[in-house]
Amino acid sequence: MPQSYHERITISNDTKFLSLVRDFVSRMIRLSSLSREEENKVILAVDEAVTNIIEHAYENQRDGTIDVEIDTDTSKFKIIIRDSGKEFDPNSIQDPDIYQHVQAGKKKGLGIFLIRQIMDEVKYIFKEGVQNELILVKYIKRT
Amino acid sequence: MPDFEIQTKKLQNGITFIAVRGFLDAHTFEEMERTINDLFEQRAHKLVVDLSKLDYISSAGAGVFIGAIGTAQESDGNIILMKPSPNVKEVFDLLGLSQIFSFADTLEEAVRCFG
Repeated sequence: MPQSYHERITISNDTKFLSLVRDFVSRMIRLSSLSREEENKVILAVDEAVTNIIEHAYENQRDGTIDVEIDTDTSKFKIIIRDSGKEFDPNSIQDPDIYQHVQAGKKKGLGIFLIRQIMDEVKYIFKEGVQNELILVKYIKRT
Repeated sequence: MPDFEIQTKKLQNGITFIAVRGFLDAHTFEEMERTINDLFEQRAHKLVVDLSKLDYISSAGAGVFIGAIGTAQESDGNIILMKPSPNVKEVFDLLGLSQIFSFADTLEEAVRCFG
């Protein structure tokens, strides 16, 4: 019988903890009904979101923490990522033209594009004086 | 075991073979970038990157190759990506980079890409 699961981890604002986040997402995917074919992609989307927070919301230097919460049931795999860095709305970033991107030798700026390609829902909420909240949802297809 | 390891080896005809292992992400990409920049400083612009032991890549990792391919090609070189795992190839596909980078299944095939 499929189950609902709800767990959360908190990491410090440092890229060295990305592997912990990936391991956490992987473990939750394996508990959930999400297809294993989606595992690499959903892990990637969360990695990209957390990396963006470290680089943009916390600008690679401020102390801070990032919460990654996963809520999954038979219909969806939902990730809620919270930080208290500066406001950063991924919806304000346009998709790149990848040929121009490569021609210009741009090394960054592809994370949001990947997240949008992978996830079915990407919602951002800024709560002034409190935190940023990014909600990523992947629908679970019934087999 | 470290998160990420790189080994380089000079082949004939000015080609350099780079074997990478582990996880290439926002935490480890600078090591990859340093390796490629050091090779460029040595005028080594023909690079074969063996991705067969790479478990994972994020856009930060792919960004290293995006940032370097132009410099390599301007100097009569290129970056040939060899044997990526399905997970790693999937990321290049998602980014639309599979149409831009050359991929090879074997070292012989990779070397032939340099003509």
